[in-house]
Amino acid sequence: MGRRTYSVCPVCLKRIPAERVDEDGGTFLHKACPEHGAFRTILWRGRTDLDAWIGNAEGAPLESPRCPEACGLCPDHLQGTCCVLLEVTKRCDLACRFCFADGGGGAEPAFGDLEAQLRQLAVPGKTLVQLSGGEPTTRADLPELVAAAKAVGCRYVQLNSNGLRLAEDAGYARALADAGLSFVFMQFDGTDDAIHARLRGRPLLAAKRRAIEHCAASNLGVTLVPTVVPGVNTHDLGGILRLAVSLAPAVRGVHFQPVSHLGRIPAPPTDELRFTLDELLAGLERQAEGLLPPGRLLPSHCDHPMCGFHGDFVVGPDGRLAPLSRPRGAGSEGCCGPATADQNRAFVARRWLRPLPVKLEEACCQDLRDLDYFSSRVQTHGFTVTAMAFQDAGNLDLERLRRCSLHVFDHGRFVPFCAYYLSGFPS
Amino acid sequence: MAGERTLICHSCQLALEPRKTDFTYLGHTFYADMLRCPGCGEVFIPEELAKGRIAEVEMQMEDK
Repeated sequence: MGRRTYSVCPVCLKRIPAERVDEDGGTFLHKACPEHGAFRTILWRGRTDLDAWIGNAEGAPLESPRCPEACGLCPDHLQGTCCVLLEVTKRCDLACRFCFADGGGGAEPAFGDLEAQLRQLAVPGKTLVQLSGGEPTTRADLPELVAAAKAVGCRYVQLNSNGLRLAEDAGYARALADAGLSFVFMQFDGTDDAIHARLRGRPLLAAKRRAIEHCAASNLGVTLVPTVVPGVNTHDLGGILRLAVSLAPAVRGVHFQPVSHLGRIPAPPTDELRFTLDELLAGLERQAEGLLPPGRLLPSHCDHPMCGFHGDFVVGPDGRLAPLSRPRGAGSEGCCGPATADQNRAFVARRWLRPLPVKLEEACCQDLRDLDYFSSRVQTHGFTVTAMAFQDAGNLDLERLRRCSLHVFDHGRFVPFCAYYLSGFPS
Repeated sequence: MAGERTLICHSCQLALEPRKTDFTYLGHTFYADMLRCPGCGEVFIPEELAKGRIAEVEMQMEDK
């Protein structure tokens, strides 16, 4: 017997019972649809002990038949909104193999409609809004949208972008920064152009490097966001992290996203096309040996532990990552209870924002044991290594979904990310 | 530090002296100039340090 939960049929998306079962050295989701048959999907490959990773984060399964069909945050949801995503366009200047939002055109939202939505979603002084798409920079009025988000009280405005427009001229990054943009999440899949060509259709490395330089010139922090796909870039996890750390403080962190099969996908996924969170963790620690201290990537406290990890570091004067958080197994998981969305938002914003260029390393010596140097260095060179494993119709577990803190806003409704983009596989 | 005043160690009756002092906080080892008794080694942590730089470090390291 495994742990009972609920999922959906990957074909018709109807809610069905499911079970998380340990077998063959891993953990699988078993479920059966009366119409479309039985399904078994890998969840965890046993590189890290799943029970220890989850700790005491799970309660009894939700029995509400409304979830996820009638999704929009409801009293059964267990987490508040940490980050809210607003789609500002469906247009995109790339045609990627995988795209959760599936791009592909459609009517462009009017500025007035987006401004009204920003007003609805904002909690003045608190909200972290992600302007997403499509590719948001395809909108000529993006700087005005950033300014509108700030005007209605959003505390942080994040841009999710492939970086191509940012690479074109430094003045564009300046315009966004002047409008109030806080930081950029930049798609960045590898240190080798062959990876970009396979995933995004063309070599992009030089453009990404230029985009990072342009953001740096405007004091905009950049977090690199690789989509990790088996057989494409799983060998480059350490390479991406090394490059990112070498680009600190312009680059503030790396946010790994194992591929999820939402929206546009090349084919229904087999287990070989999945890269589980524990595989990512093990691969990253192995490939980044000597740079990334082992055991410092911790289960998400804000979302479900199977949905992500986070590590908090400072890039030392020797170019290595010095850990700020406690090691795994030292009381850092399970016993501390979940973080609130407010706590998480404050944490990520503190790291992803670049401080104004004041109070820089005024201490006598560049030694992290010096209290003054440490304090200023963490502000300027704080660095996060994080991951988010989105769920799709194959591996969706409603208990994980209930803990989601990343919500898409769509005309009055806040919807957990993986519920909003959930899409059925072809039968 | 503590302004113009001379602070005296209650046990040793010796004047505290500014010294580079190692200390461990939140699992990290730091050093800072602090007033220390040359006799027993007792350290005086002024309010401005506790509520200022140390609090700032604590906030920087606060996990989510």
